[in-house]
Amino acid sequence: MMFGNPLTLLTLGPIVAALVFMFLAWASPPSKREEISQYIRLLIFAFSLFLLSLSTLMFLESYSGISWTSIGLNNYVYDNCVNAEVALEAGGCALVDGFGVSWHVGVDGLSFPMVWLTTLLIPVSMLVEWNAKKGAQFHSLILLMEGALIGVFVSLDLFVFYTFWELTLIPMFFLILLWGGDDRKYAAQKFFIYTFTASVLMLLGILVMYYFTRVPVWEGNITGRAFDVTLMAASSNQLGSSFLGGFGMQKAVFLLLLVGFAAKMPSVPFHTWLPDAHVEAPTAGSMLLAGVMLKMGAYGFIRIAVELLPGALVYFQWLIVILGMVSLVYGALVCLGQTNLKRMVAYSSVSHMGLIFLGIATMQPLGIAGAIFMMLAHGIISPHLFAVCGAFKHHYHTLEIGSMRGIAKHSPWLGGHMMTAWMASLGLPLMAGFVAEIAIMIAFWMTFGWLVILPALTLIITAAYYLWSMQRTIFEGGEEGELPESLHGEDPVDITWHENAGMIVLAGFAVLLGILPFIFFDMMSAYSGEFVSEILLDVLNEVRP
Amino acid sequence: MSMTTLLSDPQTATALLPEFTLIVGIVLMILVPNLGKGTFRIPLPNTNIRIPYLLGGERFTFTSSPRIPGIISVLTLLFSTSLALWSQMETPLSGSNVWCISTAGEAFASCAGMADPTLLQIDGFSRLVEIIFYGSLMLCAVAMWSRMPATPRFMIHAQVLAGRREDERIQKLLDNRRQVDFHLLLLMVALGMSVVALASDVFVLFIGLELASLSSYVLIAFMKENEEAPEAGMKYFILGSVTSAIGLYGISLLYLWNGNLQMADLAASWQAMDGIDPMALTGVAFLMVTICFKVSAAPFHLATPDAYTGAASPVAGVLATGSKAMGFVVLLRVLVTITMPESGEAFWVPVVGLLAAITMTWGNLGALSSNNPKRMLAYSSVAHAGYLLAAVAALGLNQARAGDHVISELIVAAMLFHLTVLVLFKLGSFLVLSMLESEGRGSKLEDLYGLAKREPLLATALFIFMLALAGVPPLAGFLSKLLLVSGIIDATIHTSMSFDDGILATLQSLHWVVYLGLLVFLNSALSLYYYLRVGWVMFFEDPPTRKRLVYAPFLRITIMLCLIGTLAFGIGPLADHLMGLVSNAAIAFFA
Repeated sequence: MMFGNPLTLLTLGPIVAALVFMFLAWASPPSKREEISQYIRLLIFAFSLFLLSLSTLMFLESYSGISWTSIGLNNYVYDNCVNAEVALEAGGCALVDGFGVSWHVGVDGLSFPMVWLTTLLIPVSMLVEWNAKKGAQFHSLILLMEGALIGVFVSLDLFVFYTFWELTLIPMFFLILLWGGDDRKYAAQKFFIYTFTASVLMLLGILVMYYFTRVPVWEGNITGRAFDVTLMAASSNQLGSSFLGGFGMQKAVFLLLLVGFAAKMPSVPFHTWLPDAHVEAPTAGSMLLAGVMLKMGAYGFIRIAVELLPGALVYFQWLIVILGMVSLVYGALVCLGQTNLKRMVAYSSVSHMGLIFLGIATMQPLGIAGAIFMMLAHGIISPHLFAVCGAFKHHYHTLEIGSMRGIAKHSPWLGGHMMTAWMASLGLPLMAGFVAEIAIMIAFWMTFGWLVILPALTLIITAAYYLWSMQRTIFEGGEEGELPESLHGEDPVDITWHENAGMIVLAGFAVLLGILPFIFFDMMSAYSGEFVSEILLDVLNEVRP
Repeated sequence: MSMTTLLSDPQTATALLPEFTLIVGIVLMILVPNLGKGTFRIPLPNTNIRIPYLLGGERFTFTSSPRIPGIISVLTLLFSTSLALWSQMETPLSGSNVWCISTAGEAFASCAGMADPTLLQIDGFSRLVEIIFYGSLMLCAVAMWSRMPATPRFMIHAQVLAGRREDERIQKLLDNRRQVDFHLLLLMVALGMSVVALASDVFVLFIGLELASLSSYVLIAFMKENEEAPEAGMKYFILGSVTSAIGLYGISLLYLWNGNLQMADLAASWQAMDGIDPMALTGVAFLMVTICFKVSAAPFHLATPDAYTGAASPVAGVLATGSKAMGFVVLLRVLVTITMPESGEAFWVPVVGLLAAITMTWGNLGALSSNNPKRMLAYSSVAHAGYLLAAVAALGLNQARAGDHVISELIVAAMLFHLTVLVLFKLGSFLVLSMLESEGRGSKLEDLYGLAKREPLLATALFIFMLALAGVPPLAGFLSKLLLVSGIIDATIHTSMSFDDGILATLQSLHWVVYLGLLVFLNSALSLYYYLRVGWVMFFEDPPTRKRLVYAPFLRITIMLCLIGTLAFGIGPLADHLMGLVSNAAIAFFA
């Protein structure tokens, strides 16, 4: 029951494989290390492709078996512990029965896109940074990261969720520390301290929920409590405003969780670790950091804070709007002033994450679905942005905007990718980012009316900094352009084929999801529609009759 | 009736098997190294026949080898641990596994209705704490295999000054003596601790406590190569004996008050009295001084950091785990068995609660500012004593929840769980420091610099021990703290409580003990800083030397076992098994 589940394989498979590969790389004789490292890298890549095909097959089951659009709230597919109350009694999925810790995995319209996105980004980021130093260890760490990330998205037990949440820190920390830029020690330290402190607060919130939620006690459960999300959700739906003993405690827990997740997303004012971490991280690290790790914050916010404490969401609606708006506007304004390409892209992530908050705060099915789609779209586009930045760093040894001109002439592929990625990120219609933005804007207008002008105007700033940086980097500069001094007179080269392959995949999906958004949008809007009609409307009617 | 009854009945004999094993070990420890070619002359006139009697004289090389005492001590403790564990697993519930031993040396399968006063009581609770005691001492004994240098440095120094060198055989013999001394004392500690675990009479309890304490004072001062050791031992001895004297005075007051020191009898008298008799109260209060010193609760903890710093790391580890567990056993015996009222709040809740708050905060602040890893661990041990005291305070609320779980049992189970897993990661980290100490380092944070580059596995182990001490999921330290706070919250908050009147009104309506739970959280968050700092310097600073640490295979294996335990008791079926064991022990404690 526990190990026959594809989600278990997706989670534990990469972790075990990563440890094995790391050991192999460490134990190989020094004389043959390079050669063995090549094979290990290929094996890891093949394994990650296998996981990608597994998750894609899971997705395609919608055309034969599972209908992803009709899962129903608080129900999950590939659930190894369906009807947790009964299953835990039977001991089917318990990890530590006495404390109510269980191995409970499952996906729905909110988590599955993230799982699929993770499995997609891992091989792509490996492709983009194929020739990293100590490649075997580098790619093993990325594989470890994959397991931990998928674990966060699929686990429905808050103890296991938190464990994986912390586990994602370790590979990312080492990726920054060992493969990072000049100031990597400071960046790694800051990254660790910020996210760890935030997650301690989040743990506090989780523990309060654990302590204050009574679940049906089963044989062997000594504390009379459980970490299981489905049990908590059942209790929270049933008790409504007296969940956790009342609205006051709900608000306190919501704030704790909000700080924990907002620091991960990151939202202003907890965002300052992000630019440092991004600038110093290796390209693949940046891609995963922006692509999936930031989504952990948004995912956790929706899955735990919003789903379990909808009353507090309604109460703090304006706080979320303000946080989102400040992130959006502040992030965009800071981007305007950046001279470092990677730093600018990092701040643009802060800005886009603000949109997710706005989407959630609308409390419309469309807005929440748009926020989830933003997570997916940003998860595809921002790795593309960082891959482009990485290529500049790698081939032109600089990230300064303005130190080079007319690069499109010398590196046509790089120029093309920069243009695609930049356009996708600024929200060009027919690309993935546009779908998310328009959905959030419409929902925002439906809820807040003419206030929509504010985020809409920010999109102009977004367009401004993207177009400006693009113009000053790949265009301008006459016939021959202007090569950066950091090239030291070498001939400019274009990106390598594996960088190109990875980026083409990302660009392809950005366009595909822009033209056919319903591939994922259907399951997302099914989830959000279910959530709003089943829970949020009741809460809203209760609070604002 | 005498000891013959005890031994002639096979069932009774098996009940005390772990303790008998210890005594056999102690006898062997004295005899084996003294085996030699000694002879004696038959005391008849005009005979010169000498008969070998195998003791004394020129010792056999094998039996007097410096390795032997350590092996005897480890094997003895291993046997005792496994026997205790086996008897706990075999008949886990209290009902069928209780033995009472009276002053007449008779053993009964039930403690009720005995003619003579009871001395010792063997039940699930005492068995479980014995496992903690023996386990920690065994780990210490294994660690000392590689720790005891062949010859004390000051002796070599003296020899060089005197211009002579000892011949090798005598040197070996001296080493053997030294080993015997150490391991004999260690086994005496084990014996004293098991008396504490079994005692059902306050005076027997005190004797056990003193046996264990006096031996441990010597153990602290034992490594004379370290200049701080004798000082630390002396300090700990003086403070310890003063507090013991106060405790003894308290016991005499209790005796005056009640006429005997039987725990059951004391408890009955306590229940029966109107209000609180000042004499009995003074007696318990004085006894608390001894206990607080033992568990190193603030403000009685002042000798703790010095003692831990001066002692050899494995010994410090025993002080922080086994000895502390012993203190908590005495605390539970005195506060819960004797003075707990039938219903309602015990009178000592404010005192213990205050002690808990001061202890955990002081401990953490001390650890934050100490630059010596051993000192830091000592203060962290003070902090952990504070967490456990918070649970004791919640225990004093004496709440009963309607339903199938009894809160007091949950809290005692939580304390036992914490004390058990503490052996793994607290002692484990002391063992890693012990390896550093063998090369004369380990007293400064700088000595840990770059340990990961010298010994990746050991550094990872130490890091994980630190995380477990801080209580990071999914390690054993997290579950134990989770359980402790569970107990505190269960004791203070009822399911029927409503928090609808706003946070402030809600908080005012709660019993103040709930804030101890919050304080445990805050202190754990604070402690993360100094625990993570150890990890940081191990992984990211440059090592002073690239040399690998001392090759001590058994110690390395032991550390790895501690590491596996720390992980396995944190998540997975083993945690469940341990949970079952400790909750049975908790049920036995209240039975």
